[in-house]
Amino acid sequence: MKKRGRGVACGWYGIARTAAMDRAAVWVELDDGGTVKIATGVTEIGEGILTGLCQIAAHEMGVRPDDIVLADNDTARVPEAAHAGATRMTYMIGNAVAVACKEAMTKFKRAMADYWGVDPISIYAVNRRVWVENSPVMKMSMTEATHVLKKEKGIVIVGSGLFTSAHTALDPDNGEATPWQSYVFGAQIAEVEVDLDTGETQVLGVWAAHDVGRVVNPQQVEGQIEGGIVMGLGHALMEEYTQNAGQVGTPGFAKYILPTALDIPNMYSVLITEPDPKTPLGVKGIGEPCITPTAPAIINAIYDAVGVRITSLPATPEKVLAGIIEKKKQNSKKVNKEKSEVLA
Amino acid sequence: MPDFKSNPQKEIGEHPFVEVTATVNGKKVTRRVPNHFRLIDFVREELHLTGNKEGCGAGECGTCSMFVDGALIKSCLMPVQKVINANIETVDDLDRDSGRTIVQQAFHKCGSSQCGYCIPGMVMAATSLLRKMSNPDREQIKEGLGGNICRCTGYQKIIDAVELARDVMNKKVPASALEENLIEPVMGARTPRLDAPGKVTGAAKYAADMEMPNMLHMHVLRSPHPYAKIISIDTSAAKATPGVEVIITSADVPGIDNFGVFIEDQPIMAREYVRYVGEAVAAIAADTLDIAIAASKLIKVHYEVLEGIFDPQLAIKDGAPQLHSFAKNNITKHTKIRKGDVEEGFKQADLIVEEVYQTAKIEHAYLEPEAGLAYVEADGCVTVHSPSQNITHHRHALAKILGRPINKVRMIMSTVGGGFGGKEDMIYQGMLALAAIKSRRPVRYVFTREESFIASAKRHPFSIQYKMGLKKNGKIVATKMVMISDGGAYAMSTPGVMNKSAILGPGPYQLDNVWVDAIGVYTNNTPSGAMRAFGAFQSEFATESHLDLCAEKLKMDPIQLRMVNLMRDGATTHTRQKIDRVLAVDCLEALVKVAGWDEGIPNRHGGGPATRKDISQGKERKPCTLGTHLTDREKV
Repeated sequence: MKKRGRGVACGWYGIARTAAMDRAAVWVELDDGGTVKIATGVTEIGEGILTGLCQIAAHEMGVRPDDIVLADNDTARVPEAAHAGATRMTYMIGNAVAVACKEAMTKFKRAMADYWGVDPISIYAVNRRVWVENSPVMKMSMTEATHVLKKEKGIVIVGSGLFTSAHTALDPDNGEATPWQSYVFGAQIAEVEVDLDTGETQVLGVWAAHDVGRVVNPQQVEGQIEGGIVMGLGHALMEEYTQNAGQVGTPGFAKYILPTALDIPNMYSVLITEPDPKTPLGVKGIGEPCITPTAPAIINAIYDAVGVRITSLPATPEKVLAGIIEKKKQNSKKVNKEKSEVLA
Repeated sequence: MPDFKSNPQKEIGEHPFVEVTATVNGKKVTRRVPNHFRLIDFVREELHLTGNKEGCGAGECGTCSMFVDGALIKSCLMPVQKVINANIETVDDLDRDSGRTIVQQAFHKCGSSQCGYCIPGMVMAATSLLRKMSNPDREQIKEGLGGNICRCTGYQKIIDAVELARDVMNKKVPASALEENLIEPVMGARTPRLDAPGKVTGAAKYAADMEMPNMLHMHVLRSPHPYAKIISIDTSAAKATPGVEVIITSADVPGIDNFGVFIEDQPIMAREYVRYVGEAVAAIAADTLDIAIAASKLIKVHYEVLEGIFDPQLAIKDGAPQLHSFAKNNITKHTKIRKGDVEEGFKQADLIVEEVYQTAKIEHAYLEPEAGLAYVEADGCVTVHSPSQNITHHRHALAKILGRPINKVRMIMSTVGGGFGGKEDMIYQGMLALAAIKSRRPVRYVFTREESFIASAKRHPFSIQYKMGLKKNGKIVATKMVMISDGGAYAMSTPGVMNKSAILGPGPYQLDNVWVDAIGVYTNNTPSGAMRAFGAFQSEFATESHLDLCAEKLKMDPIQLRMVNLMRDGATTHTRQKIDRVLAVDCLEALVKVAGWDEGIPNRHGGGPATRKDISQGKERKPCTLGTHLTDREKV
């Protein structure tokens, strides 16, 4: 026999480096052919930040994402952007890219305004084109503009950007601090089915709502949330690295069990996209916040389904089944007790 | 009959050769390779087709999946002798030079690749499925991909891609559905990933895919003991082995040999003591990996085995073995949060609920095992390519360890095949740099999956004593959490993880009285380090489970209980920071709107007959019962 249940959990997360000054720096150049070079210390670990940074740069520089070249992550060639982690990539480096591009574009607009003899405020650059507002003739492609500035004016457009998030260390006695500037909140609901005969839990649906700030690329945000949910599902139901007197009992995927395509629930992401008021771009991050509510939502759903409270992760079939059996024993004791009370 | 004749074994680490003729991606090739080669070695090491990656070497992850005579196989399990005269297809040239297949385009379009390391295998599995079944449904697609592990994506967008490819092939949707949209405005657009074409075709190069002329291969001798004193290391026989270029131990380190993100307590190879099973003791760089492995067996390490400590609760007691002289009672970090007066809060409470929660030690399980390539440039700068999540910090650490100016150390982050925090610690880059400096040759090191499991950091397991006081209306009046965590043999990220677990642990709730202790402890277990959500996964698990327990005791709906307590605009956090804008309630309300929620007390179905109205609404997936449609599967 199988029973279904639902559980809910909330979560919150401070983003970027904890209780320490965080910083990221970026260099940018408007290059030949209206392309753009971006140099920064650290980018992609799989989350999609490379694409996100190219979108941000394209938006700021009036070009398209595939016009951007991101320089390698190389300590000898690019400025420091610290590390890839702490849900800081879009937040720290995204903001730094925006700041650098804004500086370059201020120079670009000033130079183009000089060239055309107009006010820089009337210059627009979008989608590979640059033009003067309300002028039928003063317009050209970004390719031409780059060429003109180099050949006729001797100008190479470069910019740099820095984004700092000021965080303070914890007071050692009471923890008082501003460990982060920005927080991401969230909540998830899980629906599960538990097999009363085997103790096996299947997660059938997970709904997730997170306040992710201004969204650069919703496909990548969903990708993070879905990946986080499934990692949380693994932690909740199957994953455990075991050691016995220091010797590892799970040194491979045959013993250390991970979720596969057959284990995944249907997943629904809801993005709360209010821009972060504290940063130039309004972006936040989602890499880590999405994983915290999943396991408790699943554990609470198991409890709702079969009345077994798992307090020690993972909720393996063995643990859940032991709980079901224990509950049956207690119930029958209760029934027997009631019976004997009636007889007495 | 294939010719199995080979030269007799002559030297240590030399294997007999076997001649293999096969058709690979439409071209006939004949090569002589060591007779222990598997198909993956033949394709990657001999033919330099690095599109298919190795993830586990045991047939468990599917990353190395290829076609042999049209059948999908895991190439890490197939001896090279079995592919003599066979027809092999790898991901490198799946579309015979004409770009990308429909499956690969669909993976790009749907955002199915993240780190990309599992994707060549996923593409092969999806291709195999669609070659055999023209119209698989979503559940059949899941089964078709069931032998392939992905740690990044959660699979949903991979399954979406296979559905899209299926529909394009069946002409249910036009081929234009695969094209990239140039969407304006670009901010907020679903711009397809710019790195996806390289990931779906296998063109993206990870560290293990890199090669340089005259490159050496590294193997690392690791400790079999959780705790021991190193009396002596004799490398003379290993050094005398032909083909061995250098052997390094901690005695070869020129600078200050300690690294660590927060506490610099770890040498690049064990110095005087080994403190966990799998700790590096010596590294061998040789002309071939076979020679390096064989030579490592000739290294004689004399250990004096010591009594280890494995339970953090015992490690903090007086009299326990002291693993690091600077850490009294083996305490790596003790973070305290004190706000208001918890004892006073408990006095005011109508209900006090106590429970103990435990979370497991967790493996990151990125599909790309650690790997790196180091060399010395002409200007004397030592350069390390590796999937490091923290090149900035690693450069600082390595300069000190090598005793060089910081501009003579260069760290390059290669394509990262998944990290999740597990690639933040500099556990092998030091050995690579040192071996490159000593040998003056490029050196490559690729972890096996087993090495990755035993030698890299894990998610901290936590034990959390929880005590919460509440009023009848659900208002929390006191929260006390005492958390003890096994940090393992070295600090790595333990101090940071203790901080984050403590700061965030009591949850996104407006609390007046908070007491949190987070204590990270040294033991002789595998070190614990950074992992996605960095302590908050563990501590928030306890809080959110506990609230469910409290809701039942208060006879309240669990969402209602949270609504009573959630932070609002202008809230003061547990570390007494004022936050102007708080969207916690907005998230919960938006969630209830899409998921639906039937209000009630937890444990409805466990407590009796099913009464919930929000379950089985059709938005959830069908439960999966393996083996119930075996007849269908036989055809697959």
